[in-house]
Amino acid sequence: MVNLHGGYLVVEGCFHCRQRISHFSEEPAPPIDDYREGEHFWSHLGDFQASKFDLECETCGETIRLRDVMATMLCMKCDPECGVYKAGEGDGGKKSWVYVALCSNTSHAGGACVTADGIRAMNEYFNRDLHDPEKKIIVVPCSLRRSVDTCQGVVLADVGLTDLY
Amino acid sequence: MKATELAAQAGLKSFNACGDKEIKGVYISDMVSDIIGMGEGNLLLTLQTHKNVIAAANLVDVAAIVFSRGKVPADDVIALANKAGIGLLGFEGDTWTLAKKLYELGIR
Repeated sequence: MVNLHGGYLVVEGCFHCRQRISHFSEEPAPPIDDYREGEHFWSHLGDFQASKFDLECETCGETIRLRDVMATMLCMKCDPECGVYKAGEGDGGKKSWVYVALCSNTSHAGGACVTADGIRAMNEYFNRDLHDPEKKIIVVPCSLRRSVDTCQGVVLADVGLTDLY
Repeated sequence: MKATELAAQAGLKSFNACGDKEIKGVYISDMVSDIIGMGEGNLLLTLQTHKNVIAAANLVDVAAIVFSRGKVPADDVIALANKAGIGLLGFEGDTWTLAKKLYELGIR
């Protein structure tokens, strides 16, 4: 794991088309202003402290940039019809854990998601040197997720640490 | 040293029975997003007791988690840790005192 750095996962929504996007901000304070972008009117929906990183092969030195990975989420197996749920059913193992690599295009209106190279690298990285040989980490792109609205996955981000009530 | 041995030697409370992993080092963090950068096999010292900590700790294959200052995890957190095979331990004192104790026990 290289280029590990902290920042904010900022989630925005367009009240016009109902799409949601997210981006990673390294500003000292996350941006909260509304803005217009073409036909979209993006409003701040929330921000959470998160980390970004790249992966480097220890053998050949190749670096896989994970610019399109905004955060990682653990699947809680809430929906048997969801593609993420099904990804963990493949080997039938009780010790398979499915993590979702969340891209910036939350609604996937443009069709793009985390690259196949990024997914492959994350799978290789998180499965190396596991204590339990039966345990398996399965990382999948968020385009497999059936619904962002009903998903009960646990996002690996820090919610509310900078809020005061 | 294994987590079960550590619990006995350091006087830690065990919240579950998943303590057979070898401890390779120690990492102290109270941020979930920071935990994903730690190496596998480390003992995680934290104040956070929510489910997200288990999700992150499982991804990086921690040896065990120690909650300091007497923090107690909820039942659903313990259940998730059991499923992940992650030992959950508790320490009444603060994290700095625990860190000193671990160092004195030879965990570097």
